[in-house]
Amino acid sequence: MQIYFVEAVLLVFLILITCAVIFCKDILSAVVIYSSFSFTAVLLYLMMGSPDVAFTECVIGAISTIFFVAVLRKIDRWCD
Amino acid sequence: MRGLVAVLLAVVTGIFCSYVTFLPKIGDVNTAPNQHVTPTYISRSAEDTGSPNIVTGVIIDYRGFDTMYETTVMFLAGLTTVLVLTSNTVGRRPEKGADEPEGGAIIK
Amino acid sequence: MMKDAFGGIVLSTSFRWLVPFSIVYGVIILCLGEYSPGGGFQAGALLSVGVLLSRIILGWDTTFDVKGTTSVWLAGAGTFLYAFTGWLTLLGGADYFLDYNFFPIHIEPMHEMHAWSIFLIEIGVATCVMMTIINLLEAIVKRSEENVGSN
Repeated sequence: MQIYFVEAVLLVFLILITCAVIFCKDILSAVVIYSSFSFTAVLLYLMMGSPDVAFTECVIGAISTIFFVAVLRKIDRWCD
Repeated sequence: MRGLVAVLLAVVTGIFCSYVTFLPKIGDVNTAPNQHVTPTYISRSAEDTGSPNIVTGVIIDYRGFDTMYETTVMFLAGLTTVLVLTSNTVGRRPEKGADEPEGGAIIK
Repeated sequence: MMKDAFGGIVLSTSFRWLVPFSIVYGVIILCLGEYSPGGGFQAGALLSVGVLLSRIILGWDTTFDVKGTTSVWLAGAGTFLYAFTGWLTLLGGADYFLDYNFFPIHIEPMHEMHAWSIFLIEIGVATCVMMTIINLLEAIVKRSEENVGSN
């Protein structure tokens, strides 16, 4: 029963992070919040007992964050 | 307003997903994949493929053909994205001048 | 061309310390792919993280200078290595594609031969993933430079 409670908390957290990404005005802040979405997904996958998928999600989250930040820097739009 | 619409769509999709009840429960022993395929993989993977990791054994040995075309599809997707991004005729600013470079910037 | 420091000296130095660990971890994941979680895909992604970080911090042209044509060529070569392993097994007399029991180079315990075939395939997958990711960021950077230069 306890494990279901932790899973439910993580799922609610996932939804809240998605709402924050949608409503965030600053682009760089949205990118950082999106990386925390990836981290929560990693925790969920680990809880479901699939370390391979969790590892892939972890690496892909890091790469997408690097992509977003590099492109934001290249187009000179750090904030807003 | 657009953000509100997006959140509403997400809620509707979540309600749809929560009403899918005909799928079997997670970890149910009586379903078909848990009775034939999975015990065979778990019991025979180590001696068949020589790999202690069952996931690697399934992905690369039992389902090697799938993984090959997965890699091919990913390579083709990346190649197409690079071709679209580096072609000079897509999304270029107008009134650039007469000296047009020919072909893409990366692949010529 | 990304010559200036990325985000101040603290960020640059800490990321510079992160680069070799990322690359070494990628190689470990690639070599231990059949004993631990992970495999070719994750190894290629980790290697590309190291290369991209070092290129962003130390300048886009100075380190790991993989040109666009080279990375496209290498990604294709990685995909080809996978298929080539399948053809090798066919040449060894297998009935169907990617049957590692008929790998032409004979190594005596059968599971050892399987392990070497799996390692060959994972090198191909890792090369393809790494070069595709490097290629994508390079295309984006080149395109934004063109647009900046035009106006």
